[in-house]
Amino acid sequence: MADSSGVQPPHSELIQPDRRSFLKAGMGGAILLGTVSITAGLAGCATAPAGRLSAVGTRMDARYQFRFLSRDDIQIVEALLPAILSPALPEQPQAKRLAIAATIERIDAGIYNFGAPNQKELRQLFDLLNFGVTRVTIARVWSSWPNVTTAEADAFLERWRSSSIGLLNNGYVALTKISNVAFYGYKSNWHLSGYPGPPKYAVETLPQFNNA
Amino acid sequence: MPQTDRIAQGLKGGWKVTDGATLTENQTHEADVVVIGTGAGGGTTAEILAKSGLSVILVEEGRLYYQKDFKMDELTAYATLYQEGMSRVTKDGAIAVLQGRCVGGSTTVNWTSSFRTPEATLNYWVDNFGLKDLTPEAMAPWFDGREERHSIALWDMPPNLNNDVLRQGCEKLGFNWQVIPRNVKGCWNLGYCGVGCPTNAKQGALLTTIPGALDNNARLFHGLRAEKLIMNQGRIDHLQATAMNADGVTPSAITVTLKARHFVVAASAIGSPGLLLRSNIPDPHNRIGKRSFLHPVNATVAQMPERVDPFYGAPQSIYSDEFNFKNGVGGPAGYKLEVPPLHPALSAGVIPNHGQAQLNNMAALPYTQSVIALIRDGFHQDSPGGTVSLRDDGSPVLDYPLTDYLWQGLREAFYSMAEIQFAAGAERVRLMHLDSDWYTSWQDAKNAIASIAMKPHRVRLFTAHQMGGCGMGSNPENSVVNSFGEHHQISNLSVHDASIFPTSIGANPQLSVYAFAARNSVRLAQRLV
Repeated sequence: MADSSGVQPPHSELIQPDRRSFLKAGMGGAILLGTVSITAGLAGCATAPAGRLSAVGTRMDARYQFRFLSRDDIQIVEALLPAILSPALPEQPQAKRLAIAATIERIDAGIYNFGAPNQKELRQLFDLLNFGVTRVTIARVWSSWPNVTTAEADAFLERWRSSSIGLLNNGYVALTKISNVAFYGYKSNWHLSGYPGPPKYAVETLPQFNNA
Repeated sequence: MPQTDRIAQGLKGGWKVTDGATLTENQTHEADVVVIGTGAGGGTTAEILAKSGLSVILVEEGRLYYQKDFKMDELTAYATLYQEGMSRVTKDGAIAVLQGRCVGGSTTVNWTSSFRTPEATLNYWVDNFGLKDLTPEAMAPWFDGREERHSIALWDMPPNLNNDVLRQGCEKLGFNWQVIPRNVKGCWNLGYCGVGCPTNAKQGALLTTIPGALDNNARLFHGLRAEKLIMNQGRIDHLQATAMNADGVTPSAITVTLKARHFVVAASAIGSPGLLLRSNIPDPHNRIGKRSFLHPVNATVAQMPERVDPFYGAPQSIYSDEFNFKNGVGGPAGYKLEVPPLHPALSAGVIPNHGQAQLNNMAALPYTQSVIALIRDGFHQDSPGGTVSLRDDGSPVLDYPLTDYLWQGLREAFYSMAEIQFAAGAERVRLMHLDSDWYTSWQDAKNAIASIAMKPHRVRLFTAHQMGGCGMGSNPENSVVNSFGEHHQISNLSVHDASIFPTSIGANPQLSVYAFAARNSVRLAQRLV
């Protein structure tokens, strides 16, 4: 991914005042996203699955093999999760990092099961967020993702949520949905929803839980 | 208590079941009939044909999961049992599509509500699509038969509070409400129908018609994707299929060729039009994939003063048809009111928030109640449905534009749902809408609903019922199959699933699919034996 410092503020007519009307035009969204994906690849953004990441420095479980998220995508999700999940995450820094890392793995595992067509859609969304020009002009996030603060990430999410452009609302829903499901749906976090889990008597009685 | 699992026993006892992921070389098989899809339609068809002595091959793209796999865990179930890992949406992303993808299809993951096709719907088909033989009287024996086959009966345990709130609200307001018939036998009332029944109580295709077919010598390939029907001299010669890898997501290099005298497509209202389009099946009037319906669903959630525990108990036991046919079958959009179960992952995915607001929403889950409205689409000229087409990779996608007619129905439904929840004692109510606050009185909610933007993405929309796309009718110019699901142009092709419905049903479609598939399979067996 090209460093953001190398990206000039937007100046072309494609991406400045006409941005909204361009996105609003029916099929403009899809075409734009497709173009961004190609451009992002040419610009050197990592679009290939990250595979196994070293546990050192990344906090990831080195045994987990990423099958969809690229190294650049992981940086985006790392920047967004504190805003999406904020008060639900552990306060202790190491525990918080581990919770984020585990959620990112579950997001990746979930997306793998989405299958090729929806992976392609998400690829375009991540490429739009990765590629410096569109990150600045469409997401209006000025820093590169590792430097984005939780407040900036929250402001980005609020902009896409409240936008009058359906495509951006859709992006908001996609990003929060995959994160919320992977986090709140996971056993270790059920207590946050006051969900006690499957009834004990069923678990004790049913043969599929008998691991003996 | 007996813990004998029908599937485990059958597999041990020599059922012919093949997992596509285990195949190591290309192969060809032949039978009297190839049935594509193992859901409500395919299962019923396979059992009836196999019992009449025909040789049957069943093809399922999803994998075989059964009791040993059903551990009441949402994330596992959504990844393995649902289309596109529960991420399926309509083309513009505005409607989330909940649809099964496993042996048993959506009947393996549905919430067991089992309604007959409403008489008003059947009569509408008789009057508008030339389907003279589908009168309520003519169909009644088929519903009787399927109710018996799937152990369908009114739920006789008390509803959980989530459902009872709907009952209480309707009762207070003088609205009609009824108990839901369910297809269960010895149900434990746990609440996990949507993630694969853990107790084998649900009498979906997985535990009824699929075992019935396999007991009668049918052969099942799962993890096998139907790619194309190949024609020769005006008839379908064979099905070309691709084996899937064990991950259930990626295709392997193995192809399977399935030859038969007759082909029954029952791959769902998105999958069946997709297969016919990929196969370039003759379609002189350009009808394949048209008039696709969804029962578009919107929802409200309420905070109740007492614990609701919406994750426990039979997920659906009470419904209201107060607004379904109120203004006539062809009037303003009617809607059926029901209740969804709320487990953590589903709730977190459906409630559109992040940060503190989302944590608050989730923390209140035990006190949360929800009502959903299923819009009866397809009965009005301003509700022509959506269109299934193919993506570049050949996979089907449904484009479903929302019309002003539907938005009007969805807005009316917001009113009804909020009013019912407040009448039942809700402390506050929120619409599943990006612009909704929590409203603390019916008056506040009413004011907000009057002006809230009814726009795609801002209104959170869902569908668990996909119908149409290969509609039946007497006139080939506006339909794909006749009233027996027989393709108008290709004599050895039938369609036996929800895609044949010329409108939506106006009720959860499971029993409608069973009944039509049974009727049409008995006829098909007579033709072929």
